[in-house]
Amino acid sequence: MFDLLILGVSEVFQIRILLIILLGVIVGILAGLIPGFTVAMAIVLTLPLTFGLDPVAGVSAMIGVFVGGMSGGLISAALLGIPGTPSSIATTFDAYPMSQNGEPGKALSIGIWASFLSSIVSFFLLISIAPQISRFALMLGPWEMFSLIVVSLTIIASVTGDSIIKGLIAGLFGILIATVGADPISGISRFSFDIRALRAGIPFLVVLIGMFAISRLLVSLERSEREKDDRKRQEDKLKNIKFILQPLKTMKTVLSKPGTLIGSSFIGSIIGAIPGAGGSIANIVAYDQAKKWSKHPEKFGTGCEEGVIASEAGNNSTVGGDLIPTVALGIPGSAVTAVLLSALMVHGITPGPLLIVNEPNVVGGIFFAFLVASFWMLITQFLGIRYFMKVTQVPMHVLVPVIIVLCVIGTFVLNNRATDLYILLAMGIIGYLFTKYNFSLAPAIIGVILGPIAEVNLRRAVMANPDWTLFLTRPISLTFLILAVLSILFTVWQTYKTNARAKRIIR
Amino acid sequence: MGEIVIGILLIILSVVIYTQAGVFPPTNEAQLNAGSFPSAIAFLLALLSLILILSNLKKLIGRRADLKEMDTKTYLKGLYPEYKFVLFTLASLFVYILLMQVIGFIITTILFIIITGYVLGPKTKKDIVIISVIALVVTLTTYTFFENVLHVRFPSGLFF
Repeated sequence: MFDLLILGVSEVFQIRILLIILLGVIVGILAGLIPGFTVAMAIVLTLPLTFGLDPVAGVSAMIGVFVGGMSGGLISAALLGIPGTPSSIATTFDAYPMSQNGEPGKALSIGIWASFLSSIVSFFLLISIAPQISRFALMLGPWEMFSLIVVSLTIIASVTGDSIIKGLIAGLFGILIATVGADPISGISRFSFDIRALRAGIPFLVVLIGMFAISRLLVSLERSEREKDDRKRQEDKLKNIKFILQPLKTMKTVLSKPGTLIGSSFIGSIIGAIPGAGGSIANIVAYDQAKKWSKHPEKFGTGCEEGVIASEAGNNSTVGGDLIPTVALGIPGSAVTAVLLSALMVHGITPGPLLIVNEPNVVGGIFFAFLVASFWMLITQFLGIRYFMKVTQVPMHVLVPVIIVLCVIGTFVLNNRATDLYILLAMGIIGYLFTKYNFSLAPAIIGVILGPIAEVNLRRAVMANPDWTLFLTRPISLTFLILAVLSILFTVWQTYKTNARAKRIIR
Repeated sequence: MGEIVIGILLIILSVVIYTQAGVFPPTNEAQLNAGSFPSAIAFLLALLSLILILSNLKKLIGRRADLKEMDTKTYLKGLYPEYKFVLFTLASLFVYILLMQVIGFIITTILFIIITGYVLGPKTKKDIVIISVIALVVTLTTYTFFENVLHVRFPSGLFF
């Protein structure tokens, strides 16, 4: 564990890379702040810029965006009561009342410290757990890998979106997208229907840019969305709040509640490590748990310190948690880490359990970049928060065409193929329809990245031994498959229960 | 309603994939050839889409009474202003991609930002100036960055 860190320090501790991470953090904070601009979008658009860099520098930049983005939502949540990203919904519950009570500076400072300290906690969890998991994963054969992917996909499908059926459909659709192009084992061209654009396959990143960036922009162009946005901006102008940050005093406040801080960080890290579940869920669960365990639960929602700490610690610690399966297993827990993995692939590095053994400097770099990004986040938030506020004033009609152009450039740069741009347009429309009808996009994206891995492992397993029952008789594989079935059954049971309750209330 | 349409489209997709998957040349070394995995996935997708369609039909029949009261004409009328900009942006993006290969990256990108920004924006004189400046700056900086630092060749078109 320490040799990995030392390698990481030597990779990252160069002025150039430190500055790159700083830049990433600033971009991330801005992305978290601007309504209609998500962290996933920012990370997708950062990727093409990192092609010219070496792998460690590129990944470091993206980790900076990730960490910054998780804390950017805090600002609008605390001052305006509007979550800048879905990850800061619970932050509005207590940080906003606190700033209404005349202490906006305190709310922000506590939030920043909670974000920072929880990142540190999740950092230690990451570096101590990830190597163990990957060592365990090295013992897995193709049977276990296949079952692991099955369980990851079912869990993603069950935690996101409004029904498990839609989640599973999105996941399967993603897998099918990935089957277009050359077959991973024999190289036969599949499902290209003699269309030139499809012959080389559908690149994962184009799917990602289309589904996460283009479709999100389209949603923000609907009239009802635009009216909501206008109203928000009007409110923004009214609230030229003056505030004083108190870095030292609030640090003591946060440190005086170690139970809430560490508890919420653990919750956040665990939720982050579950595929599909991320900051938006951790934020609310951590808040809820802190309220349950608190000595004064009645104070929650009135602007109490513990509420701010719990919610912000919950969402920021998901970063470290999310990196655990990404680094140790090559299974991304969210769209953001999926981009991270594809960035590694662009540089010819194969993610998976062997990553720590084969590329210890990259893994060490990821770990250390996370630590550096947390420090940068702390510093830039305290120094730059007043200037960041102004960015929310950038009007939508400027933002949309510029971001679309960046998407187009990002897609083009990837393979230098103009035909990919049509795929981008198609994916944007598909992603838009998916969001319109509440299919969540995360399973589709993870399906695209995991589908080929699942296929390769399945075929390897059957090639090694044509006996199908091995999936059920090898104990680890069986455990994974049972977990997959349980995750589906549990969600079905839960929806049934909530539906029944809703019916009772109506009657 | 929309879910049902999506479900039907997905079933059609699954059928296409399933029938296409049968025609790959069989490889000799394995029992699973290039088509086996996709056809299994297509089968599952069709099954789930069917469940989705059925459950939504059930809901639709349950809500039939409310539907009748809603006037289809006013509903369709409301649709256009709601999605006007979405449709416009999609169309302009398509034209942008199409023209980029003919008249080159720089000109089309500048035009795309100005036109889209103008239509989406409040259409004042000041606004046009701002958006034009932004269009120029964004296009030229990204162009120089990618051409010189990353050595990407953008479509140059007829004029350059």
